[in-house]
Amino acid sequence: MTRSRPQPDVVRMLTLVPWLIERPGASLRETAVTFATDVATLRTELEHLDYCGLPGLGGGALFDVEITGDRVTVRMADELRYPMRPSPHEALRLLLIATTAERVAGADVPALRSAVHKLHAALGVTPGAVTVLDAEPDEVVLVVRSAIAAGVRVRFSYRGRGDDVPAERIVEPWAVELSEGAWYLHGHDVGAGAGRTFRLDRSADLVATDEANIQPVPSDLESPAYQPSDDDIEVELRLDPSAWWLLDAVSADGTLPAGEDGALAVRLQTGSPEWLARLVLMAGGEAEVLLPEDLRERVRCRAEDALRALDAAGRDVPHEEVGGA
Amino acid sequence: MAMPAVERLVNLTIALLETRRPLTFEELRRRTGYYPQSDPSSARRMFERDKETLRNLGIPVETRQEFGMDDPGYLIDRRAYELRDVGLDAEEVAALSLAVDMLGREEGALPLAKLAARAPDPAPLQAPPTRADVPVGDVDVFAPAIVERRVVTFTYRTADGRTGFRTVEPYGIVRRRRAWYLVGRDRDRDATRGFRTDRMLSDVKVVGPADAFAVPPDLDLGSIVSGPDIPTVDAVLEAQPAGQWALGARGAIDEGPGSVGTRRMRLSGIDPVRDRAWLLGVAPDAAVVSPGPVVDALRDALERVAARHGSRSTGASAATVAR
Repeated sequence: MTRSRPQPDVVRMLTLVPWLIERPGASLRETAVTFATDVATLRTELEHLDYCGLPGLGGGALFDVEITGDRVTVRMADELRYPMRPSPHEALRLLLIATTAERVAGADVPALRSAVHKLHAALGVTPGAVTVLDAEPDEVVLVVRSAIAAGVRVRFSYRGRGDDVPAERIVEPWAVELSEGAWYLHGHDVGAGAGRTFRLDRSADLVATDEANIQPVPSDLESPAYQPSDDDIEVELRLDPSAWWLLDAVSADGTLPAGEDGALAVRLQTGSPEWLARLVLMAGGEAEVLLPEDLRERVRCRAEDALRALDAAGRDVPHEEVGGA
Repeated sequence: MAMPAVERLVNLTIALLETRRPLTFEELRRRTGYYPQSDPSSARRMFERDKETLRNLGIPVETRQEFGMDDPGYLIDRRAYELRDVGLDAEEVAALSLAVDMLGREEGALPLAKLAARAPDPAPLQAPPTRADVPVGDVDVFAPAIVERRVVTFTYRTADGRTGFRTVEPYGIVRRRRAWYLVGRDRDRDATRGFRTDRMLSDVKVVGPADAFAVPPDLDLGSIVSGPDIPTVDAVLEAQPAGQWALGARGAIDEGPGSVGTRRMRLSGIDPVRDRAWLLGVAPDAAVVSPGPVVDALRDALERVAARHGSRSTGASAATVAR
């Protein structure tokens, strides 16, 4: 591990003073955690603060910073007894963090609601100016959460990105995560004998079992991110502006304007052409596969199959909506 | 050895906070002993740099031209600098620490330390096994606009591809699934609208003074973004075995056998517009039987997909995509 020289930060120093005035004998280690820095940087900043204060003739009146072991006490620093206001960037980020947490975990942590309210008031932002929609855990997420609390396995049928048919999974759940608008389950896949991440909206019939977990929960979980593999094929798409949402669903390697009508050309890799074909179909004619040719054909076949299915559906059973008018 | 820059910046802040009247550069220089350069213009330049650095850090250094003085004076108004009366209790500090742990220590730890500096230490709290990931840095560009109520201008591309210049009084920001929306009053159209940030072109500018407008009370940003409620319908589908699973996962009710090899399933609460993509995604494993307008819309879309993927269209060739 390389160690860079501690970089003192003026805003953190200005915030440390009021914080430490309120907490004489604070632990350096705990303070570093609170301020998202390391002890070495914190020490450097405190050493600088010992030379700060009201400058003036005859040396002025300097702060008194006393470090003994892991403990620090700041005195004679009343000029900075109040913290500085968060900047607009800090204010908006903090409001988004608190509001999202309230949506996601407010049921478990009721104090988030009043905290969000006080944040808006203290930062001078109209209540509701920061709004997070569709982040509430649904019923499946709640079932998983109670299974985690009880330390038991969950069972569900799952259709992964590359699966043609759903298969049953038994998983020892570790955590649920809301990422990019979708809920994921991190856990130990008993069948695979390894840690896996599942998108919960591709699961069905999820239930908590009464079998207790066996594997220990890892202390650090990885985020669900798509990793390209050697089997991936290269795909090029053309997206009309109304199909740009498709970009949210894929990890594109590059995009380029493809015409004056606002269309985009997109290059990406996928290990699951079937899934990509379905995605293109969902755009209903506003997205086109440029390459490869066999994926173009796959999309065309899917569309033609679907048209045939529409024609066939309801042929040999009476149309129940008919009647009345 | 020269005094470290961080000490000089902290002390300059304290000197400007403590003064009752604006201090000129010469007064500051005399009082602090800083900027000792023999060349007055290089000393002045160093002070100007420091002043700019403090302002960029969000420290409100004011410039005031006092009557009868040749040079401008500087000070920091405590009321503008200090954060007072936050009033968080121990449970709320714990809850916010959890939020910061969950969503971003890098972005959230220091601002929270400011808000909690004079609050009690966090109460013990059992963290729920839940994580979330919101890229809160994505919307930094709008922060001064929303927090200080400043006007924003940008070029916007609507869903049908038309572009136009907008001047907006931003009332707030909304995160919905994977998208960000800036909600506010479009001045030229005199209407409250939601603007998807990924449809703004790269010329977003925050213009004009703070407190340029008032946010209407009781505004529900969520309803503006969600749009009017479109009446939902019950859809009846005939599902192949592969499709039955997808429909079941969405809560469809099995209503018995359909035409050869299929099950008839009923899905409630279908939004004909928003659910069109989903219905296209499950085709051909689940074909919609009714209502008729939904069937027609799907047929239309599928015919366009088939046509577009038929014989190679002219126009953009694959070679136009940059590597």
